[in-house]
Amino acid sequence: MTPILRRSFLRRAGLPAALLPLIHGLPSLGLAAPARPRQRLVIVFSPNGTIPTEFWPDRTGTDFALKRILEPLAPHRDCLLTLRGISNRVRGDGDGHMRGMSCLLTGTELLPGNIQGGGKSIPAGWAGGISIDQEIRNFLQSSPETRTRFGSLEFGVGVQDRADPWTRMSYAGPGQPVAPTSDPYQMFEKLYGGMRDRAHLRSVLDPLQADLAKVRRMVSPEDRRVLEEHETLLRRLERETADGAGGALRAGPPTLEAGVADQNDNVPRLSRMQVDLMVNCFVNDMTRVATLQYTKSVGSARMNWLSISDGHHALSHEPDSDAAAQEKLIRINTWFAGEVRYLADRLAATPEPGGDGSMLDHTLIVWTNELGKGNSHTLDNIPFVLLGGGAGFRMGRALEFDKVPHNRLLLALAHGFGHRIPTFGKADFCSAGPLALG
Amino acid sequence: MAPTPPRLLPALSLLLGAALWSAGCQRDPAAALAADAGAALYRAKCADCHGAKGEGVEGKYGSPLTGDWSLARLTRYTALNMPDDAPETLSPAEAQAVSAYIFDAFYSPAAQARLNPPRRELQHLTNTQYAISVADLLAGLAPPAAPPEASAPAAGGLAAVYFGSAQRGRFDAAKAAHRGVDPGVDFEFNPGSPALARAGAAEFSVQWRGSLLAEETGDHEFTVRTPNTVRFWINAEPGVPADASLDVNVSNPTRPDHRVTVRLLAGRRYPIAIDYWALPEKPGAPPPAIALRWKPPHGTERPVPARLLSPAPARPTLVVATRFPPDDGSHGYERGLSVSAAWDEATTRAAFEVAAHVGRRVDRLDGTRAGDAGRAGRIEAFAARFLAGAFRRPLTAEEREAQVAAVFRAAPDPETGLRRVVLFALKSPRFLYPDLPSPEAPGSRVAARLALSLWDSVPDAALAAAAAGGGLVTPEQVAAQATRMLGDPRARAKLRGFFEHWLQLRFVESLPPDPAHFPGFTPELAEDLRTSLRLFLDDIAWDGSGDFRELLRAGHVFANARVAGYYGWPAPSGDGFARVATSPGERSGVLTHPYLLAALSHPRSTSPILRGVFLTRGIVGRSLRSPQVAVAFNDAEFAPGMSMREKVEKLTRTENCQGCHAVINPLGFSLEWYDATGRFRREDEGRPVDAASDYFADDGQAVRLGGARDVAEFALAHAPSLEAFIEQLFHHLVKQPAIAHGPGVLAGLRDSWIASGHDLRQLMVRIATLAALHGLEPPPPAAP
Repeated sequence: MTPILRRSFLRRAGLPAALLPLIHGLPSLGLAAPARPRQRLVIVFSPNGTIPTEFWPDRTGTDFALKRILEPLAPHRDCLLTLRGISNRVRGDGDGHMRGMSCLLTGTELLPGNIQGGGKSIPAGWAGGISIDQEIRNFLQSSPETRTRFGSLEFGVGVQDRADPWTRMSYAGPGQPVAPTSDPYQMFEKLYGGMRDRAHLRSVLDPLQADLAKVRRMVSPEDRRVLEEHETLLRRLERETADGAGGALRAGPPTLEAGVADQNDNVPRLSRMQVDLMVNCFVNDMTRVATLQYTKSVGSARMNWLSISDGHHALSHEPDSDAAAQEKLIRINTWFAGEVRYLADRLAATPEPGGDGSMLDHTLIVWTNELGKGNSHTLDNIPFVLLGGGAGFRMGRALEFDKVPHNRLLLALAHGFGHRIPTFGKADFCSAGPLALG
Repeated sequence: MAPTPPRLLPALSLLLGAALWSAGCQRDPAAALAADAGAALYRAKCADCHGAKGEGVEGKYGSPLTGDWSLARLTRYTALNMPDDAPETLSPAEAQAVSAYIFDAFYSPAAQARLNPPRRELQHLTNTQYAISVADLLAGLAPPAAPPEASAPAAGGLAAVYFGSAQRGRFDAAKAAHRGVDPGVDFEFNPGSPALARAGAAEFSVQWRGSLLAEETGDHEFTVRTPNTVRFWINAEPGVPADASLDVNVSNPTRPDHRVTVRLLAGRRYPIAIDYWALPEKPGAPPPAIALRWKPPHGTERPVPARLLSPAPARPTLVVATRFPPDDGSHGYERGLSVSAAWDEATTRAAFEVAAHVGRRVDRLDGTRAGDAGRAGRIEAFAARFLAGAFRRPLTAEEREAQVAAVFRAAPDPETGLRRVVLFALKSPRFLYPDLPSPEAPGSRVAARLALSLWDSVPDAALAAAAAGGGLVTPEQVAAQATRMLGDPRARAKLRGFFEHWLQLRFVESLPPDPAHFPGFTPELAEDLRTSLRLFLDDIAWDGSGDFRELLRAGHVFANARVAGYYGWPAPSGDGFARVATSPGERSGVLTHPYLLAALSHPRSTSPILRGVFLTRGIVGRSLRSPQVAVAFNDAEFAPGMSMREKVEKLTRTENCQGCHAVINPLGFSLEWYDATGRFRREDEGRPVDAASDYFADDGQAVRLGGARDVAEFALAHAPSLEAFIEQLFHHLVKQPAIAHGPGVLAGLRDSWIASGHDLRQLMVRIATLAALHGLEPPPPAAP
């Protein structure tokens, strides 16, 4: 399948009006239209499985209705694809959560290591291969047409400050996890630190020149020539750091709320800050691949903002018969859907810079999870929801498969981005080729 | 430069030998008497083309008439070739008179020095000075360190604590099973091994703490090899997980090598720490093991040697990673003369780098905490101290207000204020040009010069206090400070930098000899030789006599088992390096150190030419010009069985070459006792080594040289050789021309040096003192 972008016409009804005029000056500023339409990939992770009965649409095909958990995504129904019946069939060492997380995007077994999982599992280590986001990143970075400053950016929300196979889904290669950045200020520094530095420098140039003039009078005429050369260079620096000089940015950095600490109760605010940063760097074409990881496998966020004080992971172990727990888990998962919706809304409301349609038309969001269902720890029916026009898939459908290895979906993502590799991850699982989603 | 048309060179060959380098001061008195006649002749016959003062005439002879030929050579040339339109028309007396006039009036180096006196030039920090100044600037502002534990042994390894339990990320003090000093970290914890016995349990953990001395400036690659869980800190705050240079939480037996590269400055100690946990692994996994290895600049990957490790703690140093364009080396030593856009951009990037470092650590630097009352004020005070440190003097009230207080008032938060002050400080000409006049605080300029000469750094607290208290006025006061400063490791680093410059080792990346031709001459041996040379130099300069004569004459070397084995020296006791004696007459100090001899060799043979050029410039102290004709040495062109000496003599026998090779070759041949790897030999290509030849000194005297020791004795007895060495050391320390400090400066330093017993340390003190006070002597007291 060639990655011809399907121009799906998004239904934008119901979008908050405030989201529309997001970016000033578009598209007057900025770069020429890309040689071929841009494609972006965002992989969103939320943990601990879902509640299948309130997640999967009852009917397959185009005529499906969204259940409670996916209801927030209703405005984007026409560019939505639900994929039921995809299984993470990778086995080997480590417990289900570890393999669910670290094999999710790599499709390959864990290396030996000393991380002891639950039950009687054998200790295991990092994933034994590259993850699909990094594979596509490398592919895009290999061509000048699609190369960007960062290639990929890994965002986190409430990911704990520890490194183990439960906490990492993105891998640059075997045993090489890529850590997500949970602190939006740190991400801001990475993206825009240089701009802020220039502003600081601007603020000291006048005093520097004044001081130099003073110093110049104190030295001999021969030495003065040296300081005059120095002065010329300062003036050059002044020109280079002047407002707007050298700024190829289409959009300035977003204004982040100050002082939001990286802690549980701030997760809703942190989530929006990270999404705002992500959309902003898409506008500036700093990357075409991003991941957004909410907590981690076995994540135990306490969603006090939903008036749920239990830890997420503990709740997810409660049996189906515990209606109160099930209701909380539905609300938790619905909250995650709302965050995916916010991302989709922002992309849909932003015109594609130098291109047609909205940024969502050029972006594929993949929302996924390490388990199918929390209380059974099954790696079958992993909740995969695809959203947006970025990979040229035929959207607006609910599809159902029968325990298809998820490697075939990862392979389909690669092909959707024009990267026509024959297998991905464990090759045995790829014999039937990429999942046909076009 | 003198006019030297190649077609005339055959004529010049007549002058070879005694006359070639004869000095101007020894000319015939009759010539001086004829000076007036010479001037008249010049006006009549030469000025048309060469200009009234030898400045040259555009379209005729455009270049200034200056050069470094001796008067005799100039006279001979003039007699044969001048005037250009009527050569050989001057009588011998006329040629003599006009040449003497030219020589004295403007041609000779002495005349040029008189006409265009060299001066101390305004220059910016060299790259080395920049890096060290920034590191020390921050270190000097840190709160006083806790004194090191009195019981900590001085050197030889890292403090180790073994725990009989393994809890990921933690150590259980109650399970501490063994405390001691490990000479290195290279263990396999096999069943029954002593290492495992120290832990006393199958699941265990170990904590290593201490410091590491870096011997070279540059990128050091560290490898922690373990199939287990480890954290590693190098030049980072030990034990702070967020600062870990390596954090291997998840073991990975399939990729046990974990690498990190850090830039370190030579001559400093850096904190180094390892936290290690042997946790349960998959059944059948390899036994627990850990090794710390490194690859320093010029080095091979190998275990970190125990002699560089110490259980004593150290503090992290900010080492600026920004790369600067190379310093101006056009005067034969590095100077901050080139003010280029690339340099300016580097100073900007480096200022950002430091500002970011300081901004991130704002609270750690001064022990403040977010939310503390008075935090903003303390950060502002810290910024003011930073700026004063960068200016190398106390701030004026006006500066404190405009460059600090106002900046903090305008900034949205104290961190931003601090970053802006740091940017201002490091972009300021007062920091970048360290010898600007400072009428605000006269003593500060003396302190700044001393710190640069001896440390390449900013003044420390003691120097600043001396400057502020009027304690840097008399030569005695300044010399006392300089003497104190020699006790600091930075002075060692500076002198080591000089040795590398003097011995031309700075750019040696690998030694030429081919291991296939010289079995055993491995990269590891080459690295050991570099260490051996460094230990030899440091030992004499700092721990031993400090006597330059010993540097050139010593018969001992420093060797480890590998070095001793290759060179046939007595094996040292112990694992490391030790001083060993060589056979009487085998070695003559640094001149015959194998590292130097190998660096000045070809892959399969010696190079008397490379060695001779080094001895000419570095030891005998004569200048050489670039070869007139480029001739490649091609071993295949010579008949088999010829000795290297015969090949070189054949190659350089033309008169063209002999101009310089008459000097170079005898010196180079004197080292033919040593093969390309520096091994002592008696035969070359099956023929007895012939190292003896007559060397003609610049005063024309013939000296019989039979080996390196003869070269050493000649240089030590020969004033110009000693002065050339002093001048090189002066340039390396001060970065200004020695001659700009007065016409007799080198002779004066030479006399006092000889009187001190050729003491290198005293020479450093004298040079630093002289340069620090030059031009800054207090005005004489006003007449009543």
